[in-house]
Amino acid sequence: MTIYVREAHPLDEWQMKSNEKGQDDVCYAQPKTLEQRVAIANDFTKRFKYNVPFGIDEMNNAANDAYAAWPERLYVIDEQGRVSYKGGNGPFKYDPREVRAWLAGHFGEVKHPEVAPSPAPDGAPAPAGYPGKKS
Amino acid sequence: MSPILKWGLTGVGVVGIGIVVGLCFLAGSPKDAIGMVRYALPHMHRGNLKVGSEAPDATLVGLDGQTRFHLRERSRGKPLVLAFGSFT
Repeated sequence: MTIYVREAHPLDEWQMKSNEKGQDDVCYAQPKTLEQRVAIANDFTKRFKYNVPFGIDEMNNAANDAYAAWPERLYVIDEQGRVSYKGGNGPFKYDPREVRAWLAGHFGEVKHPEVAPSPAPDGAPAPAGYPGKKS
Repeated sequence: MSPILKWGLTGVGVVGIGIVVGLCFLAGSPKDAIGMVRYALPHMHRGNLKVGSEAPDATLVGLDGQTRFHLRERSRGKPLVLAFGSFT
C-alpha cells in the first residue's frame, strides 16, 4: 500500500530543478488543504496508471508522524500487525531492492519483475482546480 | 591575540567551511543546501518504531477524498508493505 504524505519538494519550499517542466514536471505548492492533497495524489495515480492500494495522510500528518515517514520510507507489517521491516529515510536510504530481498527471504521468490523508475508520460493532465500547479 | 585563541578560531572556521561545503556537496548546490537545512532536516526523523513494535494505526483518506479507513484494517491477517512518499 502506498501512503501519500506531505510534499518533499514543493514550489514554496525546497523545489528542485528536476521538478520543473521539461524534466519531472511536478510543480506543486505544499498542500494546505486535504482537497489539494487529494488532487496531487490523483494526478500521481493517473499519470503513472498506478493501481497499488492507496491512502492519503490526513492534514494532521498522523501517519507520517507515527511512522517517521517523510520524505519517503518503506515498512513491512506482518500478519500480527507488527513491524517486520523498517527501511531508512529516503532518498538516500530508500531501498526497494532491500524490501524485495527481504520479501524473497521470508516468502520466497518475488515474481513481479523489477521496475525501473520511468518519466511521466507526455501530455499528462493537471489535476482539475489545483491552484499550485504551474503549467 | 593569543596563539591558542587564534588557532581555535581558525579551527572553528575550517570546520564551519567544511560543514557548508559538505552540505552543498550532499544537496547539490548552495541553494539546495539552504533548502535542505531549512525544509528537510526539521521533518526528517528516525522515529521510535523498531522491528517487532506494534504497527501504529492511522486514519487515511481514499483517492475520492471522502472515504476514510484505518491502516490497521489493511494490515491484519496478512503481510503488508507500506511505501510512504509524495509526488515531488
